[in-house]
Amino acid sequence: MPELVDIRPLLAVLASLLCAGAVFTVRQSARWRAFWSLAAAGIKFALVWSMLPGALAGRVYVYQFGELLPGVAFGFRVDALGLFFALVSSTLWIVTTVYALAYMRGSHSLPRFFGFFALCISTTVGIAFAENLLTLFVFYELLTVCTYPLIMHNEDLAARRAGRKYLIYTLSGGGLILAGMIVLYFTTGTLSLAETGILEEAIGRSWLLAIFLLLIAGFGVKAALMPLHAWLPAAMVAPTPVSALLHAVAVVKAGVFGILRTIYNVFGIDLLRDLGYADWLAVLAGTVIVIASVNALRQKHIKARLAWSTISQLSYIVLAAALLTPLAALAAIIHIANQAFSKITMFFVAGAIERGTGKKRVDELAGVGRQMPWTMAAFTVASLSFMGVPLFAGFVTKWYLSLGALQAGEGIYVGVMVISGLLNASYWLPMIYLAFFRPPQTHGQDASPKPARVSPMMVVPILICAAYVILLGAGASAPAMPFSLAEAAVRFAFELKVPLE
Amino acid sequence: MSALLSTPLLALLAILVPAGGGLVVLTYPWKRRISGLVMVGLVSLASLAMTVLIARLAVLGIREELVLFQLVPPLRVALRIDAMGALFAMTVAATCALALVHAVGYLPDDKRQWRFHGLLLISLGSMIGLSSAANLITLLLFYELFSLLAYPLIVHERTAAAFRAGLKYLVYILSGGALVFSGIVVVFWLADSVTFLPGGVLPSAAPTGPLIAACCLLVAGFGVKAALMPLHGWVPDAHPAAPAPFSAVLSGVMVAAGIFAILRVLLEIFGPAMLDRLGVLPWLAGVAGFAVIVGAIRAVAEDDLKRRLAYSTISQMAYVSLAATLLNPTALAGALVHITHHAFFKGGLFFCAGSILALTGLRKISRMRGLGRRMPWTGGTLTLLALAMMGIPPLSGFVGKWTLGTGMVETGGFAHLAVILAGSLLAAVYLWPVIYRIWQQPAKDDPCHGIPEGEPWAEPGWMLFAVLAAGLATVVLGIAAGLPGFPLELARMAAEQLLGAPAWK
Repeated sequence: MPELVDIRPLLAVLASLLCAGAVFTVRQSARWRAFWSLAAAGIKFALVWSMLPGALAGRVYVYQFGELLPGVAFGFRVDALGLFFALVSSTLWIVTTVYALAYMRGSHSLPRFFGFFALCISTTVGIAFAENLLTLFVFYELLTVCTYPLIMHNEDLAARRAGRKYLIYTLSGGGLILAGMIVLYFTTGTLSLAETGILEEAIGRSWLLAIFLLLIAGFGVKAALMPLHAWLPAAMVAPTPVSALLHAVAVVKAGVFGILRTIYNVFGIDLLRDLGYADWLAVLAGTVIVIASVNALRQKHIKARLAWSTISQLSYIVLAAALLTPLAALAAIIHIANQAFSKITMFFVAGAIERGTGKKRVDELAGVGRQMPWTMAAFTVASLSFMGVPLFAGFVTKWYLSLGALQAGEGIYVGVMVISGLLNASYWLPMIYLAFFRPPQTHGQDASPKPARVSPMMVVPILICAAYVILLGAGASAPAMPFSLAEAAVRFAFELKVPLE
Repeated sequence: MSALLSTPLLALLAILVPAGGGLVVLTYPWKRRISGLVMVGLVSLASLAMTVLIARLAVLGIREELVLFQLVPPLRVALRIDAMGALFAMTVAATCALALVHAVGYLPDDKRQWRFHGLLLISLGSMIGLSSAANLITLLLFYELFSLLAYPLIVHERTAAAFRAGLKYLVYILSGGALVFSGIVVVFWLADSVTFLPGGVLPSAAPTGPLIAACCLLVAGFGVKAALMPLHGWVPDAHPAAPAPFSAVLSGVMVAAGIFAILRVLLEIFGPAMLDRLGVLPWLAGVAGFAVIVGAIRAVAEDDLKRRLAYSTISQMAYVSLAATLLNPTALAGALVHITHHAFFKGGLFFCAGSILALTGLRKISRMRGLGRRMPWTGGTLTLLALAMMGIPPLSGFVGKWTLGTGMVETGGFAHLAVILAGSLLAAVYLWPVIYRIWQQPAKDDPCHGIPEGEPWAEPGWMLFAVLAAGLATVVLGIAAGLPGFPLELARMAAEQLLGAPAWK
């Protein structure tokens, strides 16, 4: 695999960093703030996508600075898996910025909000492009710090409490990763993420379990792997664009990405198969999928239901990665995109409903479908995706995950997929039903509520995301889609020479 | 034109026209009723015409696939035209056209009628999609689509009972869909393909355990829709709750769509040889036979006319499954033609029940004394359709039963034949009281809406048209069954394509 020195990975990280600087500088000028945010999002989008053709042709772009530790440089390396993650994040950042500009209009402390917003994306791309675990860790911790001001943006008691909970959880997780990394470094002398398993030559196997547990638990905090998930439902007090950032664009995805890196690049498939640790991880993830869905069913707040659904959906990725088969790995990687687009649609819809009608609870949704038909249609698309109906993104995941489970000889996880699909139906369909089939609750005078007024800058991102959910489901393998990139990542991790099919 | 004939492009059009037309009907703010009705009429007639053309194409042989797009490699959404699909598509289009006519009279003239018409047209499109699906995944796609669309149609009248029935329906159907999904995964795992192929696609070297699992998952999953007996729970609740024209579609073609899917799975995924090896068919025959008898017995016990008809559907559709398990071309042809004929007579009976309900508000058979004398046309057609269902020659019900009965005798399936005969006998037991009751002397307390005693009521025009058309179809399909271009010819051709042996000389 030819490695080319290229400055684009660095520029992609810097784009939003400079944007953050500009936003902090222009302070109160809303127009310039919008300009810089959108310009940086656009530039980064172009930079990241411009690397797609090269990556598909098998090129790897690298960029390194000096050494941090002996043998460990601070550097970027764009491989298929990292680029996939970066594509998803940078694409979603554009729609999220447009949405946030409309949603946050009139709020306090906007320079702080948009500044840290940009910093978050900068660090996310840093995580995606990190050449080694140490670089990844630096950006990972920075992401934690940058998200904190966003979660407690409202500055009330609940927001502060949620922010504190988030910090305690994620910083502890960071500590675990650090510990795991130290053990790893002293066992192998390298932290590189460029290979399919750096631990394979390690002689002393006594530390392997410790490394596995530390890294998986550490990344598992952000991946909201139960029982380390409690910060995520609490963080629903944050403004909607922040929820989108947490649930789709950056934070939880960073955790999942760390787990994928641990499995595919640190341990490697062969070693993990020998060790058998991944079987336990799969059992845990399968359990989380079901339990989190059952919890989602019991939530009365729209955003809380979405949060629990995220916990369940993230475990799809963990389960798929833990199955250690090529088709399951494909499911794990593409679900990063599938979950992101489906869930961000839902959060945008939840935010639009809140802005348009002031409703936050599931049982208040009656009649909303008539007030906001396009928005609720997008919500329906995302729900069908989570239910795994063919034509929508979620089906692709469900399909490959099921096949991957059969490939691993674990037919029981096909059953988990089926149960999870039904549970998803049982908490999304009632919401759609209420919105479209129940007459709106009337409070005395106005019998037919007026169509809710929501800024088109909120509706258009919703529709774009919903369209992408269909595109990911119906045209996953079309030429311009990142599907083939995911396939390339799988081929690399499993050292396959031939295409998967 | 030649491109149109060489590919299943026509099938795609036959899906898009009703679906697109339905969307227009659904969303356009109709000012004058007549313009909306003209739109609905044109769309449904165009769909019917296209399915007839498809049937003409199918007679010329199986058309190659038309790949629409790829879901994930190598799963494709693709269409194909063959005789079985064409016959079913035509049946669906005709039944829906009649249901739409009936609905014009049945539903009140308000905004919500367009919702009904629009959704029914979209369902029609997706059912045509189901019948021209070239592989299991395409079939599942359209199956899920019209299953979900059926929900708003079932709860259209927004009564508490309708919502309860709708919820029950959804739970059943979604669970069935989940089973189908896992079945498809197993099939793909074993065969690397889910494309329908006469004779089956599964490699004969595949291990037996997963094969049986896949077969059970798929048959049970589609069996929910097909009202296969232990999985039928939603049927007797959804039919009375839905508006009568939609009950007709539910019974006539939606339940049949489940059977259709089971036939596709058995004959074109597993294939006769594989089924013989696995030994699953006697079990399926047992289940179907049980459904024939028990469904009919439950029908006898029901006093609500629509519920009785719903149980009768369970029984009648199980004939088809029972006949299919013999893998005999004649029996299969009979089974296929029975699906079509059943759609007309059962649809017609629901139209009659709907007319009675709309005019008098009566649901219970025991209260229908003398109804036939007050509604002579509806009553007369109801009698005719009931006779057809009992299998009285020369009406259409007889043709299907005779053909599948001959097939059973050919293969020595006398137990099967006995079950069918018992089912027919029971059909007489649950239908005769209806006929008898409506031609009795009118009761003293009949709800005559101020019309003097003894005079007939004005039967509602649109509904009466649908009722009479169904009656006429039953007679014509029965008398002229053997003519070329009629369902029997297509069914025979389908059986030959699927089983590789001619049904009869």
